[in-house]
Amino acid sequence: MNENLENEKKDTENEEDDSEFIIDFTTSSAINRVSLKFLVVYIPIFWFSGIAVATFWYGYTVSSVPWIIKLLFLPLILLGFSFLFIFTCFFFSKLLLIFINLIHLPKEGIFRTERGDMDFEFWRLRTEIKKITLWLLRNWPLPWIDVIAFRWFGIKMDFSSHLNDAWCDAEFISFGKNVTVGQGAVIMSSMVVGNYLIIKKIRFDDYALIGGQSTIAPGTHFGEDTVLGAVSVTTLNQKLEDGWIYSGIPARKLKPNKYAEMRRDIIHKVDVDEEEKVETEHEVNIDDDKKHLIKRGNGGDNK
Amino acid sequence: MSTPNSMRVGPFCASVLVKKKYLILYIFLIWLSLLPAILEIWWYWQMLWYELRPLHFYVFLPLFLIVIYVSTVFASIFFTKILLLIISIFHKPREGTFLRDPADKDYRYWSLRNTIKKWPTWLAHKFPFPFLDNICFKAFGVKTKFSNSLFEGWVDTEFIEFGKNVVIGQGAIIQSSVIIGNFLIIRKTVIEENVRVGAHVIIMPGTHIGKNCILNTWSSTMVGQELKEGWIYNGSPAKEFKKNRFFEDIPIEKLTKTIGDMDGLLKKYDETRVARVTKKRKSLKRKDKEENTTEEKGLK
Repeated sequence: MNENLENEKKDTENEEDDSEFIIDFTTSSAINRVSLKFLVVYIPIFWFSGIAVATFWYGYTVSSVPWIIKLLFLPLILLGFSFLFIFTCFFFSKLLLIFINLIHLPKEGIFRTERGDMDFEFWRLRTEIKKITLWLLRNWPLPWIDVIAFRWFGIKMDFSSHLNDAWCDAEFISFGKNVTVGQGAVIMSSMVVGNYLIIKKIRFDDYALIGGQSTIAPGTHFGEDTVLGAVSVTTLNQKLEDGWIYSGIPARKLKPNKYAEMRRDIIHKVDVDEEEKVETEHEVNIDDDKKHLIKRGNGGDNK
Repeated sequence: MSTPNSMRVGPFCASVLVKKKYLILYIFLIWLSLLPAILEIWWYWQMLWYELRPLHFYVFLPLFLIVIYVSTVFASIFFTKILLLIISIFHKPREGTFLRDPADKDYRYWSLRNTIKKWPTWLAHKFPFPFLDNICFKAFGVKTKFSNSLFEGWVDTEFIEFGKNVVIGQGAIIQSSVIIGNFLIIRKTVIEENVRVGAHVIIMPGTHIGKNCILNTWSSTMVGQELKEGWIYNGSPAKEFKKNRFFEDIPIEKLTKTIGDMDGLLKKYDETRVARVTKKRKSLKRKDKEENTTEEKGLK
């Protein structure tokens, strides 16, 4: 009996062989291991940007301005110095990134998390280099400025989107307009599953909204006006349709997004108005002898 | 990658303050750990400062600042460790369930330990490189390896053991002590080799996670739960989802398959996540009782 049972089990295992390899769960992409070779990258970045600040500090101390005025402007100057430090860090890490990308171009796909795998090693190096600037900007009391860093590191986004309080990867993500990301959300375009690293592009279309504490797996595609509720998770390569509210683990359709429809109507009206304006301008600007050449909107009759 | 301020990361201590006088020790530690930094600054000044305002004073200043910071962290860890050792002479940290009351010695000392450890861990966080966090872990008695990456989640600093190659996800919480109602539970959490913990996972004290496990996002474990070796877990409390074969050598084409049977998957998730059917108790309800009595009367 036992042997039979075991045989049956083996058979079922063989049948389900492929389904076991489907990645229908979401893990994490947190690899910042402590390897000392990254310290070699950090120290020059820190040092050079520190020297840039130190030269300005030297100028400040040497200058012959009365000390009362110097003291008066000290807070402003300290603010400026910290700003300068962050941006020089930024500059040098970007420079390093360009060099690294010349050696090995970042690409999407599935890779092994082994020492020898070039994609994995360079992915780690890239994340480590980007980390300092993003860390500095996040600990800096000017929260809107991290968008600049994200844009420089290769995320497509503009200032209308907000991901201030979210954990976000800094490559292979593209934002549309007015995307809002909730607090504590995790957006990862790379994921570690067992011995494999998956890198896949995430796309957010216009007006997408991501709830707090939700997790977004690589390859997710958010349609226009899609809403993802709080505490929900998307699976790998999931496509969320336009104008729907999604929620749950894994994210599933809840109801159509009516608020989006309301907004869409308003925009529509504005568009029509503008079209009418264009038509009237045309008639005014055309000479009388050439008027018969114009095609009218209805059926194309000549007049 | 870009960690928000609100997501607390790295080694962390519970912030329960049983008695306000523990804060004196905290301030005492800050004072002690800043002394070496002041000494170093004085030394640097003596070495390189002349009347002419030399250039190399400014050139090496940024490097020197890093050295000062790191040495301050090391000094704070050193003094904290000494204090911890002194405290452990009076009362040894131990596992168990304790009363959440200032009269309980274990509860008091647990709070005292956390208050002391707070300053070095906070200081180590403020450095963007996880190298100092790791030293904090090792000094306070957490068994870790340098191949682990534990710096995106909230990790307790005592009674935890890690194997090799552990990855802990963003915003995950790994506890070895928890307050439930009137009790404080301290139990050792063990996480073995190659475990991949997903984002936002909550691991309760006493959990034992076997080798090669994967935990799905937003799953959580119970106090004292044991997770078997080589499985993928999902749900709260975590249940077996499927066998983990992602540590084998799989041809990469097999991994690119998309999910075909979405409804089946949703059903599978619902079993582990949502469905918790409670059966109605018949005998305890008053209505049922009344009905029963009336029936009996009718029979009579």
